[in-house]
Amino acid sequence: MSDFVRAMPRRCLLAAPMILLAPAAQAHAIIRHAEPAAGARVSPGPVRLRLVFNSRLDHGRSALFVAPVRLGGGGTADEVRVELAADCPAAELMGTTDALAPGNWRIRWQVLALDGHITRGDIPFTVAA
Amino acid sequence: MELFLDLYGFLSVVLHAAELMARSVLLGSIAFLAFLAAPLAGRLPAGEGAMLLATARRAILWGGWLTLGAVLCSSGLGALALIGTLGLGAWQAAGAGFVLSALGVMACAAAALVLARGGARPWPPLVIGLLLLVAAVAGSHAMARTEDRLPMLAATFIHQAGAALWLGGLPAFLIALRLPWPPATAQAVGARYSGLAVAGVAGIVAGVVGYYLGYVGSPEAIYGTAYGAMSATKSVLFAVLLLLGLANFLLLHRFAGDGAFLPRLRRFVECELIVGICVFGIAASLTSVPPGADLPDDRVSWAEIQERAVPRMPRFTSPSHADLGIPALQAQLDAQARENAERPQAFIPGEGFLPPRNAFDIAWSEYNHHMSGFVVLAVGLAALADATRRVALARHWPLLFMGLAAFLFARSDPEAWPMGDIGFFDSLRDPEVLQHKLLSLLVVVFAISEWLVRLRGKRSAAAYVFPIAMALGGFLLLAHTHAIANVKEALLVELSHLPLGAAAVVASCARWLELRAGPGAAEARIARWVWPLCLVFISALLIFYREA
Repeated sequence: MSDFVRAMPRRCLLAAPMILLAPAAQAHAIIRHAEPAAGARVSPGPVRLRLVFNSRLDHGRSALFVAPVRLGGGGTADEVRVELAADCPAAELMGTTDALAPGNWRIRWQVLALDGHITRGDIPFTVAA
Repeated sequence: MELFLDLYGFLSVVLHAAELMARSVLLGSIAFLAFLAAPLAGRLPAGEGAMLLATARRAILWGGWLTLGAVLCSSGLGALALIGTLGLGAWQAAGAGFVLSALGVMACAAAALVLARGGARPWPPLVIGLLLLVAAVAGSHAMARTEDRLPMLAATFIHQAGAALWLGGLPAFLIALRLPWPPATAQAVGARYSGLAVAGVAGIVAGVVGYYLGYVGSPEAIYGTAYGAMSATKSVLFAVLLLLGLANFLLLHRFAGDGAFLPRLRRFVECELIVGICVFGIAASLTSVPPGADLPDDRVSWAEIQERAVPRMPRFTSPSHADLGIPALQAQLDAQARENAERPQAFIPGEGFLPPRNAFDIAWSEYNHHMSGFVVLAVGLAALADATRRVALARHWPLLFMGLAAFLFARSDPEAWPMGDIGFFDSLRDPEVLQHKLLSLLVVVFAISEWLVRLRGKRSAAAYVFPIAMALGGFLLLAHTHAIANVKEALLVELSHLPLGAAAVVASCARWLELRAGPGAAEARIARWVWPLCLVFISALLIFYREA
């Protein structure tokens, strides 16, 4: 499947006859605050993750992963699941990663909001001494 | 599984729209039985009263089965997405709140089916209907709010109850209007239904006030966020519905002296149904975008909308791959891309991030829109000429759509044959390419069928391909949404597409009305000008479409 950029003009073109149109993304749960923030630099070692959302979450059906950023992106094979803290507030996901080596990393999150909507996202950050 | 996840976003909105409609029809039919058929049946001759009750029960049966099917598919899709993305077991996925809410709705729908089959008194189904609404609201976005949960649950309950009373009751009302009884009885049914519709409008408006306070929050969010813009479009279609409702009210209460009002009333109710279906499409999309109040940053400003709305000379030449990177525009886009890179983004399973768009993509897309716009303009003008009944050649206007089909076929997938290196059959493995090729085929089918209609006469079944295709197109345009994290450019694109969808719905209604009324009727004489004008309006939007 081609990426969104390739799809965009084609999707827009479909508007002309207005018979069929593939949708882009929809989601309710969005991040209000993230630790580490997107693009942040953190010290090597375990990293405490805290994501605050605009929706109440079903924690049993939500997850946090961490993985090294790879050129070109894609793939989930190297994602490591981060155990969620037991005392997460209703609209938050919290957890602590294993020790991370210096490099570019990303947090992959997936949440199920209480309204049934599933949303995913990535937060890139850098581990540097 | 990958293909399923790719389709998840689209399917979830379409199925949610189907669920909203089916639930509303079930609830509206139950209300029709409790507040209209049952009280009125006692005052009618026995045969007519029995017919009215049977109509209400038939509508409940339809609504019940549709609800069971739509809710099963919608919740099943969500459960499958959970299983596919998190590796959950089936039982674990089945314990999700939305699945429990769906089970509650399905249990109530099943109970309503049993009661309707058994011919029970009207009050038990009404209690079941209220329970169903409670179960549905428990799976709504209000449930996930971090603040003001109770008021938003109440607003959702009232809004959905209002929609059910008015729009959900329309199918039962339409069936009742088709029954072979005296005009006076039809008028009595209609007058009573007017009361239900007025109560429904009050509920819808009350819910909208709650939504505005809780989900929109400020006038700036109306045009500055996808949620606000879609809500505004929904309000415009709601106004169209109110006009149709007002026309029906006047027909029933002022012009019902003889039986002549009845066919016109039926036609207007049919148009209400078309617009109502599209309103449910937007409602489904609205439930899956973040509320405007949750997106205080990155909103589109009024100045940006004004800047984008200034017409610019259409592109008459297509960029080629060698044209990549119009320097100034590219620099501006690169700056925007750098700005967006630091923001946490969100997407649904199967969907990717929005990488920065480059000048080639924009020029390509704008050219496609502009050329499509010129074809639609030619169609609209030819249809207007045909409406004068003085230009014999103009009746062949559907053939102009063949040009659009060829254009779509050639340019929708630049990497595939005939523009790109990927062979035709190889390219069909990509579902998106397959979808585009099917679209081209559909336009050909539509053009030929409408052309044959023009040659043979308007009242054949094929004549309805046009209004149905327009309504479907409008529905899909209105039901798709973008801009999770409020990506400005995607929202600006969306702002241009929402009026396209609304115009398609109006055109569909006008053509439907023209066909149903027959050439002599007053509304047909007006409608036959309205839909070509809608096409001209659509063409203007396309010709002056801008992405940067």
